[in-house]
Amino acid sequence: MVFEKIVEILRNYKEEPELEVTMTSSFEELELDSLDTVELVMEIEEAFDTSIEMDGTLLTIGDVVGLIEKAIA
Amino acid sequence: MIKTPLCELLDIEFPILQGGMAWISDAQLAAAVSNAGGLGIISSMNADENWLRQEIQTAKSLTTKPFGVNVMLMNPHVDKIAQVLIDEKVPVVTTGAGNPGKLMKLWIDAGIKVIPVVPSSGLARYSERAGATAVIAEGGESGGHVGDLATMPLVPQVCDAVSIPVIAAGGIGDGRGIAAALMLGAVGVQLGTRFLVASETNIHENYKDKIIKAKDIDTTLSGRSLGHPVRCLKTTFAKEFLKAENDPLTPKDTLEEFGRGALRIAAQEGDSKKGCFMAGQIAGLIHEKESVNEIIIKLVKETETALNGGIQWVK
Ligand SMILES: Cc1cc2nc3c(=O)[nH]c(=O)nc-3n(C[C@H](O)[C@H](O)[C@H](O)COP(=O)(O)O)c2cc1C
Repeated sequence: MVFEKIVEILRNYKEEPELEVTMTSSFEELELDSLDTVELVMEIEEAFDTSIEMDGTLLTIGDVVGLIEKAIA
Repeated sequence: MIKTPLCELLDIEFPILQGGMAWISDAQLAAAVSNAGGLGIISSMNADENWLRQEIQTAKSLTTKPFGVNVMLMNPHVDKIAQVLIDEKVPVVTTGAGNPGKLMKLWIDAGIKVIPVVPSSGLARYSERAGATAVIAEGGESGGHVGDLATMPLVPQVCDAVSIPVIAAGGIGDGRGIAAALMLGAVGVQLGTRFLVASETNIHENYKDKIIKAKDIDTTLSGRSLGHPVRCLKTTFAKEFLKAENDPLTPKDTLEEFGRGALRIAAQEGDSKKGCFMAGQIAGLIHEKESVNEIIIKLVKETETALNGGIQWVK
């Protein structure tokens, strides 16, 4: 559920409705630099009405999914 | 007189900050700027906690006015540095190169005002949410490590994105620049390059001479391929670095090694073959070596003139 919603936000953000995303996709592979990552994570936080720690350990979509799941549990 | 809400917020006379500059902005420079009515900022670069504590105490012996410390979040000693700032009750911390996250909370709880340098409105919003007192929107015209956006588009967009005060940096060298920044919505400015030539700045005379001689076209961006572009003067070193950078056969490690320590060499030894003379595009506007006090008085006067003059266009 969390993963699917994040994929939707990501596809919207990148304006690529067909974008292939898995839990192991990294921001780097998705061609998101550190500034994009900030924007994207904030959109995700707003969508889930929560906030997560944004630091150097956020590397993959799976990392974000994990933190969001923990935050809303 | 130029007064904005930033003056009251930071307890300073003029809304002018001297940006933290690694290897350059020490206790002497910071204290001189604070004594002149601005906010001086000591750079803690990659130094350890003992060096910083000493530097803070030196500044306190030179001024009773508030001053700040710039913290590089990639500094391996950052946790101890963070504690020194609390122990020494430093009133203002500016941060660069990273996300202040957890440290931000620690500092804010200790009553320290935290002002992150941001290159985008997203990071500005994020900083505001994390409790930042204000943000410094720094454009890519600046000397040193820079972001992509230029000051002119960055500042108004950051101002629209957040409700905390915005300080503009990058490409400001005189009162016209300050007046423009205020018109873009900023309530203060941070200058780096202009202070490089101040008499209180402890750097090699060659560095100051190069700034005075520089024209508008004399800076370049190096290190873009490493992900952390640096604006510096086009010296022999910079040209060789760019040549190596543009050669696809140069390994990234070699390039990193090439650049390591180069700002220290420029600042302390003034060697243009080995040193990286970081400077902003506004270097070409700087023609005189002056004291910090002279610089600040001039900046304030020029700002008044520029702002008063603006009204002539309103018909
Ligand atoms: C030589 C030099 C070194 C700098 N070092 C740092 C630094 O260590 N940390 C930081 O946050 N900003 C650093 N900066 C950026 C300044 O704090 C300031 O934001 C910038 O110089 C403003 O742009 P200007 O150079 O056009 O005035 C440096 C700038 C210069 C010119």
